[in-house]
Amino acid sequence: MVSASKRLLLQYVTAILLIFLLTWHLVIRVPALRGVDTFMETLSAKLVYGEISSYGVLLLVFAYVALLHGFNGLRNVLLEWTGGRYSKPITIIIVILFIVFASLATYTVVGITPPG
Amino acid sequence: MSFDPKAATKIPPKKVTFRIKRFNPEEDREWWEDYEVETYRGMTVLDALLKIKEEIDHTIVMRYSCRMGVCGSCGMTINGMPRLACQTQVAEVASDGKPVVTVEPLKNHPVMRDLLTDFTKFFDKHRRVKPYLLRKDVDERETGDYEYEMLPEEHYNIYEYTLCIACGLCYSACPVVASTDRFLGPQALAYVWRYVADPRDEAWKERLEMIDTDEGPFSCHYAASCSAVCPKMVDPGAAIQRLRSALIKYRLGLYKKKRISKKVGPMEEKKPRKDLPPEAKPVDGVDPWAKDQEPVKIPVEKLI
Amino acid sequence: MALKGKENKPGWIASINPWVLRIVNNPERLAFVLHRITGVLMALIIMAHIYVTGIPAHTGWEAWIEEIQNAHGITPVTLYFFFFAGIAWFHGLNGIRLLLVEFLGLCIGEPEKPKPPYIAPSLKGCQRKLLYLVFALWAILWILTGYILFVA
Repeated sequence: MVSASKRLLLQYVTAILLIFLLTWHLVIRVPALRGVDTFMETLSAKLVYGEISSYGVLLLVFAYVALLHGFNGLRNVLLEWTGGRYSKPITIIIVILFIVFASLATYTVVGITPPG
Repeated sequence: MSFDPKAATKIPPKKVTFRIKRFNPEEDREWWEDYEVETYRGMTVLDALLKIKEEIDHTIVMRYSCRMGVCGSCGMTINGMPRLACQTQVAEVASDGKPVVTVEPLKNHPVMRDLLTDFTKFFDKHRRVKPYLLRKDVDERETGDYEYEMLPEEHYNIYEYTLCIACGLCYSACPVVASTDRFLGPQALAYVWRYVADPRDEAWKERLEMIDTDEGPFSCHYAASCSAVCPKMVDPGAAIQRLRSALIKYRLGLYKKKRISKKVGPMEEKKPRKDLPPEAKPVDGVDPWAKDQEPVKIPVEKLI
Repeated sequence: MALKGKENKPGWIASINPWVLRIVNNPERLAFVLHRITGVLMALIIMAHIYVTGIPAHTGWEAWIEEIQNAHGITPVTLYFFFFAGIAWFHGLNGIRLLLVEFLGLCIGEPEKPKPPYIAPSLKGCQRKLLYLVFALWAILWILTGYILFVA
């Protein structure tokens, strides 16, 4: 069992990382910075593929960190709302969800093919 | 709880309706009851409740004692905010536009009857954090011959936490306590910080390790309701944040208590007694020198 | 006979409804409730986001290209991005404040002697100003996001 302070430390460290990663993730959607006219054009297949192929590792780190932060927080909230009664099943479900979505994100970056 | 002298010294509306939430455990029945009370300047909610109890309905059950915000017995939810009934002026909570005051028992504490709540869990949690000075040397603590030195600025750091009267308002306001029993609550955790920051206490490591669980400061999310309702300005919210960052730093090996004070004394030196004057005759069966004998010491188990 | 008291706890509703208790001078409670709601929503939306962005790797780019072409102006896709961005802005901005307050123990004032009007130091500390800044920046950034999404 990981002590409560270690789990919260994980939450805070991922939060600090997310400040930078989320800022980057949102700023690259500003149309003027990508040389296009509208927001939807920044999501065109060509630009998105370019992002995934050149910043793949960074995107993967972002996905893992966000999932860690999100699921750790969700687990805390669920334990609090249930009064700590179903701690084991909640932890198991959260771990399974983390593995599923982390592998989904990994497959997206690894298995992507160029459009067209 | 902030204090607004202008609101508190106003003249309250002539007649105020007190809407009281009642509960009868034998019938398991819950209902609201209205009482109309004639007010006077300077009337507190507790005064009004006592007037109702004396003149209108003597079956209302509540707990109160000192009537001046010292004992912490009369905590109630007044107009949706946990307050001490004895410190709340009727003029503060009732206005001419809305001369109605709702009085409910404190939330998060089990209700025994009407406005009377059961503090067993609250005091259990209070006891579990060992709210007393712990020293490695059991003897020096038990004999009471010694004092521990403390600088004024060190006292200043913990002074506001020592004002706690255990009225249970912070525990009742906390949204985390509302959903889980596994949180020690603002009052108990403020006490932990009060002893961790106290230079006279030697058990800071044990205290920090004791609360490194889901019950500890990590379940707090800083809604700061505890600090907002505290009638003694104790600020448990800030205490929990300081405790939390101290605990994280301690786990990373960065936190160390600044100073642990040394014992001073013994404060009174024992002088040999003078002999009794010749005209004084001791009463039969009473030994006038009994006080000079060594006191019987009961061995105490080591706490840390 | 010892009477057993009746439980009087609002339960989990206290962490999503800031008006369970009407405590004056306490916007931190509103921030806590919003932080929790946005946090749970973010956890759910991240899952959906990872699933949706994974579709091109599974079935190719056709569905993606078609969806992008039809999504200009106010459509379900842009509305989804709009609310996603609003939720993320609040959780992120308030999260920076909470990192200062909870993780580092800053911005909560210094212990002081009680004196009128008896407001606890942590409620007067700079975290309160940061909280108002968070609300202001949240509004500005959300409006800016809406401008980029719907107007530009």
